[in-house]
Amino acid sequence: MPDVAVFWALGALAVVSGVMVFRFDSMARATYALLLSLLCVGGLVIVLGLDYLGVVVVLMMTIEMAIMAVFMVMYMMNPAGLMPMSMLHNKKGAAVLCTLVFLLLAAGIVLAPWPKRSGRPADDPTKALGTALMGPHILTMMTLGFALFATIVATVVLATRRGRYDRFGDDLRARTADDPVRGGVGR
Amino acid sequence: MDVKGAARRVLAGSPPVLLVTLPGATAERLAVEAGLRERGWPLAESPAAAAALVVAGEPSGPHVEWLGTLWSGMPRPKAYVTVAGAAESGRALDAVPRLLIAEPLGAGPQPGPPHGVVSPPEDHEVPESHGGHADHGGHHGGLVAGLPMAERADDRDGLRLDQLHLSLGPALPDWPTGLIVDVVMQGDVIQQAEVRPVPGGPPAQGSFWNEPWQRAARGEPVTRGAAERRRCAAHLDSVGRFLAVAGWSGPAARARRLRDAVLGGAGREELVGEVRPLVRQVDGSRTLRRLTTGIGPLPAARAKSVGVTGPALVADGDAHARVCVWLKEIERSLSGLEDARALAVDAENTENTKNTESTVGPRGRCDGLLSPSRALLDALPGLLRGAEFACARLIVASVDPDLDELQGAGHG
Amino acid sequence: MAESAETAGTAPLWAVVLLPVVLTVVALAAAGFDAVLSAGAEHGRGAGRGARTLRAAVAPVREGIALLARQRRRTTADDAALGRIGIALVPLAAVLAAAVVPWGFRAVTDPVVGIVWFNAMEALAWAAVWLAGWGPNSVLSLIGGYRFLAQGLAYELPHMFALTTAALGAGSLRVGEVVRAQQGMWFVVWMPAAFAVYLLSACAMAFWGPFGHPLGRDVAGGVVAEYSGVDRLLLLGGRWLLLVATAAFSVPLFLGGGHGPLLPAWAWTVLKTAGVLALLIVGRRLVPTLRMERYMEFAWLVLVPLTLLQALVVAVVVLNR
Repeated sequence: MPDVAVFWALGALAVVSGVMVFRFDSMARATYALLLSLLCVGGLVIVLGLDYLGVVVVLMMTIEMAIMAVFMVMYMMNPAGLMPMSMLHNKKGAAVLCTLVFLLLAAGIVLAPWPKRSGRPADDPTKALGTALMGPHILTMMTLGFALFATIVATVVLATRRGRYDRFGDDLRARTADDPVRGGVGR
Repeated sequence: MDVKGAARRVLAGSPPVLLVTLPGATAERLAVEAGLRERGWPLAESPAAAAALVVAGEPSGPHVEWLGTLWSGMPRPKAYVTVAGAAESGRALDAVPRLLIAEPLGAGPQPGPPHGVVSPPEDHEVPESHGGHADHGGHHGGLVAGLPMAERADDRDGLRLDQLHLSLGPALPDWPTGLIVDVVMQGDVIQQAEVRPVPGGPPAQGSFWNEPWQRAARGEPVTRGAAERRRCAAHLDSVGRFLAVAGWSGPAARARRLRDAVLGGAGREELVGEVRPLVRQVDGSRTLRRLTTGIGPLPAARAKSVGVTGPALVADGDAHARVCVWLKEIERSLSGLEDARALAVDAENTENTKNTESTVGPRGRCDGLLSPSRALLDALPGLLRGAEFACARLIVASVDPDLDELQGAGHG
Repeated sequence: MAESAETAGTAPLWAVVLLPVVLTVVALAAAGFDAVLSAGAEHGRGAGRGARTLRAAVAPVREGIALLARQRRRTTADDAALGRIGIALVPLAAVLAAAVVPWGFRAVTDPVVGIVWFNAMEALAWAAVWLAGWGPNSVLSLIGGYRFLAQGLAYELPHMFALTTAALGAGSLRVGEVVRAQQGMWFVVWMPAAFAVYLLSACAMAFWGPFGHPLGRDVAGGVVAEYSGVDRLLLLGGRWLLLVATAAFSVPLFLGGGHGPLLPAWAWTVLKTAGVLALLIVGRRLVPTLRMERYMEFAWLVLVPLTLLQALVVAVVVLNR
């Protein structure tokens, strides 16, 4: 019974803080409302018995949102949260789109023929998850991993204006890189 | 039980002190620092942390304004004392606990410090850690909560980002006395920097650290030992400041303690035993070298072109090189402490190279038309451009200009 | 946390109340020791050393009480709510992280994924420090807040690999299992690199000592520059709690937890924790504050490969066991 109460409480808080993302007029508040929402989702996953996934959601989302706040503030021109600003753009279109998506998903939940449980949950869901990922799904995971890594590298390459020729000279012979900020290893 | 009152008595037992030094009050600052050490009171880093505002020097017109801003930024209970003479420091500090306990409890109209200091609504001198006051200073379009919005400009990576006009000093911790650096920042990268002294002008009596050389120039008898003693203390002061900015509080505290011992007339043997390990530790620290090489490079050629003459010229390199020169000179000065020969400053014959040894003060030649710190200040903006905030603090500390000199040279 | 299947390693309910108290006491002792060493540097071998040492040892208690006498403080156009959430998160994260640290062989809770839990709670500090720096709407405190995010990017990856290595050696993410696996040999013996990296990141996540740049003196206290009174107490005290929690967690991870001859298990935990804390407090004096633009490269080019190699070695040993 307490589990059910916690589930609904977390669910409600997740939705409310999700809404608050669009109500707050400060970048920082919006970002951290989103984080709160995601932390609640992490809590929901834990309540469902998937400890590992839940805690990882908490871990990853905290770090991600903390970093994202920096970029939001940097690009959205809201220095020190002084200028009140709206998070809403294209209000009508967004409202229509959101309603449609919500209805579609809700309809999916209600109308889908959910299968009956067959068998029983694993004793240790963390271990089950690990063996599944590293066993039958290893190909997916490897592909995903490489795709993500390639994306990161490609993004950095596209974003940076300075390549190794700028840093080490045309013949790449310079002993130390010519960077605006020097690193600590002394290359 | 009166919990608040008891807590307040504990606070009065060792109040954190915001020590602000006015131009020309180096002797008072040293006396207050020694007094704080004796009492075991901590030095506060910002007004928010401080329970007592201790001003070394006698505040006059132009200082009252920015001191008032500092004062209004301090949470209650708080105390305000001024130290007009080095001999007075003990009595002034002793007054602090009394003032803290005596201040009426509860809210009420913000009492200004004695001397009728008022907090100005707009102030361009004291952005230092002052909440909203920190991020303004330019004149831009929009105002939010009475503060101007930032403007945008291209940054070094070709992005168009916010630009912040900010004044650093004069009350930052471990910051050269009386220095204000107006900077334009993007993120924490300094795009432009301009240097100016705090309004009110330098003191008439010249710099504390150059005193032996000035006295010799006036024709008074000064031994070389006395001059070396002052040089050694000056460099220990600079090293202490640099290490404090670099976040190495232990050696910084030792450098300051030894500085006071040197000025207090301790014997050579006694000093060498303590100074040498300190010099070894700082000089030999690979971490410090890794952290400070490449910061604020000032090649000798450039230094010469702006008229720098002292350790900064000898160093011919970055912040770490400058600190190493100080350390070397500290050791050399120590060996000359008992030199009883007269310090001969020949003001007429500035080109006489044989004499330069004895006319070079802690920051450079005291006999030229340009005071050594004037040249250091001229070199500073170029060094600061493109530096990140932490590096900028290290650069300023590694150059450590003494603004009290600005007057001294002309009178020498 | 969902209730763990076995509760053998879990302490009774009153431990929940006791935990913050114990953490605070240990933190005060550690801070007192730190203050004694600082006073030594300040005064040298002068007379009256004994009295000064005594005075320094209780200085953290005095400072804490003194902060209670002070007004809280607001700045112009601040976001007090966010700032205070950030401040409160610091001690909260410390206590929540410490909940999985076994004292002896019993922790307040010993979830299946204890190690990940610890890591997640410590990551809350990322949000906490940035929020606390953002709140006052002041340049210097915001610089401090950003510094911690840079620091997080530098220390987190090697830190995660160090944690992973210990879990790998035990074949479990449950802290109790990790302790049990060290019955014969402590992990520090065959995972020295992971242990060393963990100690670095313990300081880094508590933004303390050489990693105290977010609260640096060069930015007038950085994140804490604008706070006074209770706010300041919670932030600075929470930092010590975090340090104690992270130092204490190195004991079950690498130093055999409660295992040891003669003394009872809880005594061994306390002794080892005290040892780690003393090592950190003494070691901190050897280096200045590390600036992240320099440390970042070291972390990614030296520490990450190092911890990966360490994990590889452990993995090979585990596979051949």
